[in-house]
Amino acid sequence: MLSKVKSMALNGLEGYLVEIETFISSGMPEFEIVGLGDTTVKEAKKRVEAAIKNSKIDFPTQKILINLAPANLRKVGSHFDLAILVGILIATNKIPQIDTNKLAQTIFIGELSLEGKLNRVNGILAMCLEAKELGIKRVILPKANANEAGIIEELDIIPIENVKELIKYLNNEIKIPKVHTEIRKNKKKYEIDFLEVKGQENVKRALEITATGGHNCLLIGSPGTGKTMMSKRLNTILPELTLEEAIETTKIYSISGELNKDGLIIERPFRMPHHTVTRNTIIGGGKNPKPGEISLAHNGIMFLDELPEFNRNTLEALREPLENKEIMINRIYGNYIFPCNFIFIASMNPCPCGYYGDEEKECKCSPQEIHRYLSKISGPLLDRIDLHIEVKRPKYEKISSKIKSETSEEIRKRVCMAREIQRKRYEFEKIKLNAELNGNLISKYCKLDEKGEEILEKAFKNLKLSVRAYEKILKIARTIADLEQKTDIEYKHIAEAIQYRSLDRRYDN
Amino acid sequence: MIIEYSNQIYPEKLKQIKKPPSRLYVLGNVEILNKNGIAVVGSRTNTQYGEKMCKTFVKNLVEYDLNIISGLAIGIDSIAHKTSLKNSGKTIAVLPCGFNNIYPEINIPLAKEILKNGGTLVSEYDENTKPDSKKFKERNRIVAGLGIGTLIIEAGNRSGTSITARHTIEQGKPVFSIPSNLDNKKGKITNELIRNGAYLVRNVEDIINTYDINFTKRKSKIKDIYLDIPEELIDVYKVINDIPKDINKIANETNLNISDVNYKTMLLVMENKIIELPGQRFVRNDEQYE
Repeated sequence: MLSKVKSMALNGLEGYLVEIETFISSGMPEFEIVGLGDTTVKEAKKRVEAAIKNSKIDFPTQKILINLAPANLRKVGSHFDLAILVGILIATNKIPQIDTNKLAQTIFIGELSLEGKLNRVNGILAMCLEAKELGIKRVILPKANANEAGIIEELDIIPIENVKELIKYLNNEIKIPKVHTEIRKNKKKYEIDFLEVKGQENVKRALEITATGGHNCLLIGSPGTGKTMMSKRLNTILPELTLEEAIETTKIYSISGELNKDGLIIERPFRMPHHTVTRNTIIGGGKNPKPGEISLAHNGIMFLDELPEFNRNTLEALREPLENKEIMINRIYGNYIFPCNFIFIASMNPCPCGYYGDEEKECKCSPQEIHRYLSKISGPLLDRIDLHIEVKRPKYEKISSKIKSETSEEIRKRVCMAREIQRKRYEFEKIKLNAELNGNLISKYCKLDEKGEEILEKAFKNLKLSVRAYEKILKIARTIADLEQKTDIEYKHIAEAIQYRSLDRRYDN
Repeated sequence: MIIEYSNQIYPEKLKQIKKPPSRLYVLGNVEILNKNGIAVVGSRTNTQYGEKMCKTFVKNLVEYDLNIISGLAIGIDSIAHKTSLKNSGKTIAVLPCGFNNIYPEINIPLAKEILKNGGTLVSEYDENTKPDSKKFKERNRIVAGLGIGTLIIEAGNRSGTSITARHTIEQGKPVFSIPSNLDNKKGKITNELIRNGAYLVRNVEDIINTYDINFTKRKSKIKDIYLDIPEELIDVYKVINDIPKDINKIANETNLNISDVNYKTMLLVMENKIIELPGQRFVRNDEQYE
């Protein structure tokens, strides 16, 4: 007997339908799976056999051949287990009442345990989204994955606990209600807030600009000045994730297996890999490529603490994704594209000892040492960082003062307003935020008045700014103008923008 | 105020020169016209050396309570006036034009600042007279005449400065000249004056000791003047001093938004009025006045 059941395979974030063909013929008992499956797929036959037997169903003592079509694409993962099992059950006529029409529009995803239960698998959201695009109506999957898939309203998500339940369901003996996950609309309450940051107005201002324009930002300061503390609060002033963004991010977490039970990720991710991290962990990789930290930070923030301590290779690998907002990983079986549109925040000390420019402690480094330390970060990487801001140690009186700082919510309101201005301005462009401006678009949207031109020219002469600073200054000035709700960039916006290029001014790289 | 030749307060020193002005138009402090002052003159296109020397000498002359007399022109004249103001000295500007046509226009704020600080504007022409080249030359005899001597900082060939020097000699007063590098075009005249018998001065004591007058040195009082500072930047400039100040502290003391402080400090840095130190701290760029 021959049967056909559908499942889904993932290639990076893209999915494609896989048809599981089961052919049972007489002959010596044998169980074989063909169709370019990896070891996990090959091992499925052991799990499927045990699961069938432990569900008190006869396992056919015949020749079983499974083909995963299309046979020329590599298939990875344990989630084919369920489809293979269903294929065998149908081929051996164990589910006589099955609705064959419905079957054609159904996919089966799930890993089996030996006792016949269904285990959670990774990448459910990505697979379901792709399935929806491909015209699938029903997805049968492990109960543990139901919340994640339930986000997609258009699909009937059927959660299954074990094989026995599945057979009863397919045989129309029982009904299982489809799952729909309510997306929690109530606002996420952060436990941290900018209210707790005393003083440090210049840093807060820089982070506000960063959040508004989607810029990248480098914080330079002595140990213990609050660089990390403030970076962590950047999330609290960013606009909430839109549903579309939330699904994009959840998809990535889904295939990395980092998703918790809640289903949709509604908070912008904040990734903070340690400086011993390898290049592959940052950008993604492996034999079957997995998204790296940069993709896990998609629509959120990636914060690299102690930037010069990172491996040079790791940092260099960041250059392309920072520019393209996606990363392509090439493997012999195909290319994998993962999105990585994140705000890049980094922190570093101003010199090896950490106290260059500090008011209280004296710096013990020689100019050469400082230069060597700074040159660990290459020019091309620095090119991609829009704002540099120096963080100072706050005075004790400031820390203990009762003067109220602004709350994150107040700052966020301004950020959202300025983002709305950008959205309207770039409605007919491919970009969304000022940070993405380049070349032609800069000359189109960053026009200066006469005085602005004059000041920019003066700045280049007097402060010996590099050419690379030019575009950055215009972009930042654009964001500052947006924050003030001005249509044109004024000279003060330019002057303030130059303030955020301290590395260009101070140290010659 | 108009002072006729016959008036009691008409400066005694001016009566002794050739062709004294028949009447003087005066704005501001009349008393200092009869006090001791040194004319400090020089080129309108000075070198850095000239600027430095002018600042040093004027500062020290003010410390000996000498008034600074000059012509309100650009270059050395302006530097002399400004340095005098900064060190709380009194300064007299002799104009080649009427008070309604102050020339050059760029120095109108300077003229106002002089009046505000107990200084004086003097002219022999009525309010509406416009300046011309003849008046520039005539003016120089009054500059020389009001002083007890003339200090030449730098001078170009055939310049007004050399005319002032000539008037001083004719009036029988000492000419002090600052020696200069032989390569310096603006130093040609000063060196030539020394060769022809002007006093070579190495420091202000060389000037003081020429006179039999008993001068007492007082401690210099630096006064804040914000002449060269664009008006919108003054509030920030005021709180920045010799001790490095962090940008947040500046914002705090001026009660301004951090965004305003950001752009204002940056503009000041670009104008070379303040210097940025590592850690976004700022100090005044005082080299301008030394």
